Amino acid sequence: MRANQLRPVPVLLDNLIWFLLLLALIIFSALTNRFFTVNNVTNILVHSAVLGIMVIGQSFTLITGNFDLSAESNLGLIAVLGAFLMTASGEPSNGSGLLLNPLLALLVMFGTGLLIGAINGLLITRLKMNNFIVTLSMLIIIRGLAFLVTHGKTVTGIPASFKALGHAYAGPVPISVIVLLAAFALAFFVMRYTRFGRDLYAVGGNSDAASVSGIDSQRRIRQAYLISGAMAAFAAWIELGRLGVGATRIGENMIFEIQAAAVIGGISLFGGRGTMLGALGGVLLLSSINSGLNLLQVSGFAIDMVRGIVILGAMLIDAQKVRYTMPPRIPAGAASTTKK
Amino acid sequence: MVEMKNVTKEFPGVRALSGVSFSLRAEGELHGLVGKNGAGKSTLMNVLTGVFPPDSGEINIHGKSYPRLTTTISRQLGIACVHQHSQLVPSLSIAENVFCGSLPTTRIGLVDWNTIYRETGERLKNLGLDIDVRRKVEGLSVAERQIIEITKALFAKARIIILDEATAPLPKSEVEMLFGFVRRQRERGAAFVYISHYLEEIFELCETVTVMKDGRNIGDHAVASLSQPELVRLISGVEVERFRHSDRIAFGDALLEVRDLDRPGVYSQLSLTIAPGEIVGLTGLEGCGKDSFARGLFGLEPLGIGVTLLGGRPYRARSPREALNQGVAYLPRDRHGLGIIGLRSVRENITLPILSRLMGLLGLVVRKRENALVAQLIEKLNVVTPSMLQAVQFLSGGNQQKVVFAKLASVDPKVLLLDEPTQGVDVQAKVEILKIIDQLSREKKVAVVVISEEIRELLDICDRIVVMFKGRIVREFLTDDSRTTGEAILHAVEGTGVA
Amino acid sequence: MRTKASTPFLLRQLIWFLLAAIVLFFTLTTRNFLSIGNFINILFNASVLGVLVIGQSFTLLTGNFDLSIESTLGLCGLLGIWFITHAGPPLYGSGWMVAPTVSIIVILFIGLGIGVINGVLITKMKVNNFVVTLAMLITIRGLTLLVNNGQTAYSVSQSYNWIGLGKLGPIPIPIVVFLLLFAFAYVVTTYTPFGRELFAIGANRNASYASGVKPETRIIQVYMISGLLAALAGWMLSARLTNAMSSMGQGSVFEVFAAAVIGGISLKGGQGSMIGALGGVLLLTTIGAGLNLMNVSVYWIQAIRGFIILIAMLIEAQKVRYSRALADPGEQKNR
Repeated sequence: MRANQLRPVPVLLDNLIWFLLLLALIIFSALTNRFFTVNNVTNILVHSAVLGIMVIGQSFTLITGNFDLSAESNLGLIAVLGAFLMTASGEPSNGSGLLLNPLLALLVMFGTGLLIGAINGLLITRLKMNNFIVTLSMLIIIRGLAFLVTHGKTVTGIPASFKALGHAYAGPVPISVIVLLAAFALAFFVMRYTRFGRDLYAVGGNSDAASVSGIDSQRRIRQAYLISGAMAAFAAWIELGRLGVGATRIGENMIFEIQAAAVIGGISLFGGRGTMLGALGGVLLLSSINSGLNLLQVSGFAIDMVRGIVILGAMLIDAQKVRYTMPPRIPAGAASTTKK
Repeated sequence: MVEMKNVTKEFPGVRALSGVSFSLRAEGELHGLVGKNGAGKSTLMNVLTGVFPPDSGEINIHGKSYPRLTTTISRQLGIACVHQHSQLVPSLSIAENVFCGSLPTTRIGLVDWNTIYRETGERLKNLGLDIDVRRKVEGLSVAERQIIEITKALFAKARIIILDEATAPLPKSEVEMLFGFVRRQRERGAAFVYISHYLEEIFELCETVTVMKDGRNIGDHAVASLSQPELVRLISGVEVERFRHSDRIAFGDALLEVRDLDRPGVYSQLSLTIAPGEIVGLTGLEGCGKDSFARGLFGLEPLGIGVTLLGGRPYRARSPREALNQGVAYLPRDRHGLGIIGLRSVRENITLPILSRLMGLLGLVVRKRENALVAQLIEKLNVVTPSMLQAVQFLSGGNQQKVVFAKLASVDPKVLLLDEPTQGVDVQAKVEILKIIDQLSREKKVAVVVISEEIRELLDICDRIVVMFKGRIVREFLTDDSRTTGEAILHAVEGTGVA
Repeated sequence: MRTKASTPFLLRQLIWFLLAAIVLFFTLTTRNFLSIGNFINILFNASVLGVLVIGQSFTLLTGNFDLSIESTLGLCGLLGIWFITHAGPPLYGSGWMVAPTVSIIVILFIGLGIGVINGVLITKMKVNNFVVTLAMLITIRGLTLLVNNGQTAYSVSQSYNWIGLGKLGPIPIPIVVFLLLFAFAYVVTTYTPFGRELFAIGANRNASYASGVKPETRIIQVYMISGLLAALAGWMLSARLTNAMSSMGQGSVFEVFAAAVIGGISLKGGQGSMIGALGGVLLLTTIGAGLNLMNVSVYWIQAIRGFIILIAMLIEAQKVRYSRALADPGEQKNR
């Protein structure tokens, strides 16, 4: 067998997430009849909204082969910043007193998201710093900034009009769910049918090859981070509506779940692989497991453990997949290299 | 077509190009570019493709002058470069790779997949490649990928294609496939610049050759007017003697002996004996099993079943560590992946296998002892390095290879398995390495196996040459025998010719 | 033959110059910075972080990393106390009343065991190290929460608390442990074959294997070290606080990485030194202490910590570029 002739990953593996989701749905429905109700399914979807939007943002950077670990802090800062600007000062709302128009506040929120994305992108592409470290540092810094804004207190009194997105219904369907599905559809479309999307895959698959082909890899990476930042703002908007208040710890510890959902859905941590559809599947799977375990009244701590195992399983498959299909590096002179 | 006049390029501390003039006259020209490591070949091409702006000089392409050439402009003008390291995106399909960076779109600006697949399929067929263009690149062999890369360049309407050491990762059989492809393209008018250390390939493929030395163009020649020794002399500037191995001495009892070694699918009925101080060449086509055999002996791969004796006693190595412990050392063909640890210093590379021997009290490595040993080896092998603490990645190819040799020497081996020892090494260092091999075997009575596809070199250095074909040993030649000629060996290698 | 390295002294010892600059800054801007008491305080605070960083550095050198350490710290710190105290209020232990010595030995073994699991999954089962240690991070934390149902356990055992609160003369035990371990780690990585092999594995695993090193064994060993030291750190921290919350250590993995990386340990493996790591630990802790003395808000300190990591990385990137150019400019063009 030639060392560099590898089997293509079978279709099953690529669409694994849907089989897994189906499996989870079947298992939970069997275990409790409260699972497969309209109410609960709607619940799952609503809870998926924020995670889902964040995963879209993360997927854009992951496909280029970069992490955005700051995402959860971006969500937090943008959320509290928005709340802060719109509310009255002093107790009990703890706002700025500016009572900014919700539309304006939204603008500021998106602006902040884009700004953070721009900073991440610049540090990584122009100053050539490691993406893991940069976004890790930003994770810490931005969470700190969130605390600075609120002094640790929760901001309340957000105008109802603003909360509509996270709250309201269009008939029987929550708006946030419509937004979630629309966002994924749009993201899928961009990834599959625009040059921008295809460029991202090229950059993640082999950024040198991409550059040589005329793709401005650095620019694409910066754009991916901008999108991640914008998505955080979007998610913040929904989250504020859902939660109702601006809690300083919004998004804390979410980073693992975001990565997990992406990876479970087939977006490789190594870049250049995966689809938005799969990512959506990952989000739905994680939310379903959460919901199912909750309904089964499993202790919150045990749920964490199960989540950990699910993440491990998903990433194991990702690692195997990539190992199987990643060509051995062919430096000068080797036609077949033994890998250990 | 292309005319570079008086190009000069300096980097901090070094003059890479001094007033170099280079030209490609005609369509369909096959022009070789040779020179030692550091002579400036790659830099010259980098200037032509717009990667580096020249400090001075002119670049004229198709008659027009380009004072500020960029990679984009160069590409638009039809100049493309294919390196030895893959420039394809493995997770994407062949079709998408070919169109990478210039994906066609429909009227509303969406990616036009139909066109992409259709056109790629058609054109590949025209170029003589029958392959499913939806396949992901990661499933292709190295040669297939090289061809896709050249195809990609041609797709981008490249008329001038630079192959920079493009055959280095290729086994000989696939090089032939590549050359056939290149010749077909040349018939359609594409011109090629072929940079290589493999002089035999230059003679086979090119019509003209430019020799560079120390940043200068020291001559353009018609290939037909040169002989290989002349070319070698031009490249190195010195009358480099062909290395003649020292006389055979009475060798004595066999040191390494394998009998009826069998590894299904790789080799069978392999029987070989090597005496101490003997240099045995092992050659054959890619896939004949020669390098698997060496790696099997060294513990990197399974060896198969059969009898293996070292010094009369049974020998088995399930890992390189076990092999080294028993005195068997291996020089890998893949220098960067298996041979050197680029980030670490020369000193660390050399002493890695024998650290435990340098320990003093408390299990700590004694610096003085280590430095002494390393200094000695560096001198003996003439490793050019500013300091023993220099990271090996900064040395030239030839010196890196010598560091690997030093490492093997430090182990004091009884058997040396050398896989393509002079590959990727400039002419001067090649000779030095051959001398080292000769010296090691004669002085230290080391049994040496040299695996190489360079028959000429094997004739120079070995006492015996063993030819393998499809997993079996088909012939053995004694180099002192007058019937042993390059041709005869080649026949055996290719499985033709009567024994 | 020159046996000196080619990178200039300033660049190699950058972290210490930075530290000196920081110390100078704080001395000028606060009162009582330059005092023995303050230094001992800084070292005291650095001790737990320091022990974790040593463990992490071992894995980093081989080109791996261990995200699970904060959870191992949490679990072992909790178990250490949980084993030895009685159940129910006010201590909320297990009620097993295990002898402190035994408890400590057990938790250290648990740390080792977690390291073995990490190591084996990563080397033998070839699972990605990010995935494995991330999953362990989550799973072990879950386990920690399960053990005592999220309830904090309290320690009133002198012998257990000794490592956190005891003193050797005027010097607190944690500082002794921390400095001794660093010294030991330094010697091991610089002068023993084991240490040298770690660098080789991190720089080029395959070539190391071909040179007779056993990378898989070494990698399992460094994960064991990492787990063991995380358990030790758990003991130290819970002893110092005399209690163990189930969230103990959460979020600290970032700081450990920061200190190691600031101290010059490359994330890609094969480069860095324990001395540098020590410098990183001291730098982070000193800055925290100084800012505290300046009465800076806790939240600012968090943010500033993040900034420091960024700056350190920037310098690291420049260092690589600079030393490359210095070494052999002639080779650059052939790359």
